[in-house]
Amino acid sequence: MAEAQTYNYKVVRQFAVMTIVWGIVGMLVGVILAAQLAWPVLNFDIPWLTFSRLRPLHTNAVIFAFGGSALFASSYYVVQRTCHVRLFSDRLAAFTFWGWQSVIVLAVITLPLGITTTKEYAELEWPIDLLIAVVWVVYAIVFLGTIVKRRVSHIYVANWFFAAFILAVAMLHIVNSAALPVSMWKSYSAYAGVQDAMVQWWYGHNAVGFFLTAGFLGMMYYFVPKQANRPIYSYRLSIVHFWALIFTYIWAGPHHLHYTALPDWAQSLGMAMSLILLAPSWGGMINGIMTLSGAWEKLRTDPVLRFLIVSVSFYGMSTFEGPMMAIKTVNALSHYTDWTIGHVHSGTLGWVAMVTYGTMYYLLPRLFGRELYSLKLVELHFWIATIGIVLYITAMWVSGIMQGLMWRAVNTDGTLTYSFVESVQAMHPFYIIRFLGGVLFLSGAIIMAYNLWKTVAGAKTVDAAIPVPAH
Amino acid sequence: MSLSHVLKLFVNPRDGWMAIHDRGYSIAGVVLGHTLIFALIPAVAGYFGTTQVGWQVGGGEIVRLTSASAGKIAVLYYLAMLAGVGTVGWAIHWMGKTYDADQPVGQCIALASFTATPLFLIGFLQAYPVLWLNLIAGLPALAFTTYLFYTGVPIMMEVSRERGFLFSSAMLAFGLVTLVAMLAVTALLWGTGFAPSFTS
Repeated sequence: MAEAQTYNYKVVRQFAVMTIVWGIVGMLVGVILAAQLAWPVLNFDIPWLTFSRLRPLHTNAVIFAFGGSALFASSYYVVQRTCHVRLFSDRLAAFTFWGWQSVIVLAVITLPLGITTTKEYAELEWPIDLLIAVVWVVYAIVFLGTIVKRRVSHIYVANWFFAAFILAVAMLHIVNSAALPVSMWKSYSAYAGVQDAMVQWWYGHNAVGFFLTAGFLGMMYYFVPKQANRPIYSYRLSIVHFWALIFTYIWAGPHHLHYTALPDWAQSLGMAMSLILLAPSWGGMINGIMTLSGAWEKLRTDPVLRFLIVSVSFYGMSTFEGPMMAIKTVNALSHYTDWTIGHVHSGTLGWVAMVTYGTMYYLLPRLFGRELYSLKLVELHFWIATIGIVLYITAMWVSGIMQGLMWRAVNTDGTLTYSFVESVQAMHPFYIIRFLGGVLFLSGAIIMAYNLWKTVAGAKTVDAAIPVPAH
Repeated sequence: MSLSHVLKLFVNPRDGWMAIHDRGYSIAGVVLGHTLIFALIPAVAGYFGTTQVGWQVGGGEIVRLTSASAGKIAVLYYLAMLAGVGTVGWAIHWMGKTYDADQPVGQCIALASFTATPLFLIGFLQAYPVLWLNLIAGLPALAFTTYLFYTGVPIMMEVSRERGFLFSSAMLAFGLVTLVAMLAVTALLWGTGFAPSFTS
């Protein structure tokens, strides 16, 4: 019975460690890609190293391996701590860990080989998709099962966000990956033409909305109040913006298909819903910022809090930028340019990675019963990462708008002013700046890995006893 | 005198802010004595750069704007900078209540306006409109501006440094959002017939 009276920290530790490992791998691939864009010779004429094959590896590694492991770790930790109960099943939880790591390893092998469905963020072929579906359903069983057997009657709001993220991602993955296999490593989508595109971007945008937003909001709602040592600013706001976010996000996908074969009304609907989305997104930002605002006396001495406040600020900025870019007139300029890349990275580096760093600095010392090795290094990491993001985003803003303007410039006789390759040439300096930004951000992650390694090396693992509920 | 304040601010930001604070600028005082003058630098340099110097894309012909088109843009640019300083000043005043700071609007606009000085000054480089050069030179100016803002808020708004840090961070988020809004407005205007015309 001794085991039943502690939390299952083993699986949390495993996922937390893999978060750091995959973070560095994924960001390293990103930096290599940035270098290839600036200096194409770095392809070395090796097929496995071409941009087209490494790019899906980068996105899969940072979103699903780094972000996914962080979500598994934090959701398993939070659901146990807030429900005062051990995970529903240790064996199933272990299965999700090994299953998810196998998916990632398979991605690392198949993507450079050129095995791909060609669906963005869903490139993995059907056998791997089946494995993902199984792992994900088991994840849902472990998470929801833990909520069912909870010993506190209230379900804390972070668990709402985690549950919504798990259910929505299951639905999105299974619907979008429906395909007809023709061989072991080749399949065709179950949908044709514009329907396929619409299903793909319904999936694609909600991967952002549920994987990278709802899941990480769950993280924010637990770790921000914990680190600030204050209750959430407004619990009512958290519930209202939860439902508003869930309702609105699912409609926003068509803004990825402005001015395509998708019916115009669907594009306009997607644009309208994207604009409405600003309100629920900012509900979360206001809650995070106001919770942190009360802890202002801690802010100067606690670098971990800085990661959290900057992450919430970037969340606010990129969720404002998104609706702006979904406006058709703005999109006519911004679509297919580097502005989009900059926008995505202000969300993923600024929000997702920064809140994950804050969470890992909170989590790992507690899981191993140690104090953080060096607060100075945390501060160094903070500044390097922030400067890296600023370099990245500003370079992409300038080059993206320049690209958009060059592509649409026409002479008085109606011919194009610039050829495509001239716009590529004009991008060169910005690609170098972006590369430097990426190098800084990656260096920050390596500093964090060193700091956390020094924190936990040689430490014994810690298991926390489950408190008896007060009621 | 605005110029001596700028010098002080650059040599020793904290002393500079003290002097500006003690001077107690009125709205008219700071706008006439600082904002209107310094915002002219990027506007005039931009006009000169886009009409006289021009820029080259990938070894092609030199591109310039017609004076009429560049003039219109320079005026809009000048007004946008003034509006930007005014909006940020107003937002500082408004947000001050959250942080127990109640300073007159003139003081808040002085904070916004003097903070922007490095950006106004580096604006002279727009006489040579090469984007990447302006970006590389602009980033340190932006960093210095951010630094000035963080040191300025506690002194000008008379709040503790801890509170000032949070106040400044909140304003920085406000500034980023304003910046993105301006990007979107630019794209909207460009798309609805306000595109510049080039010399042929």
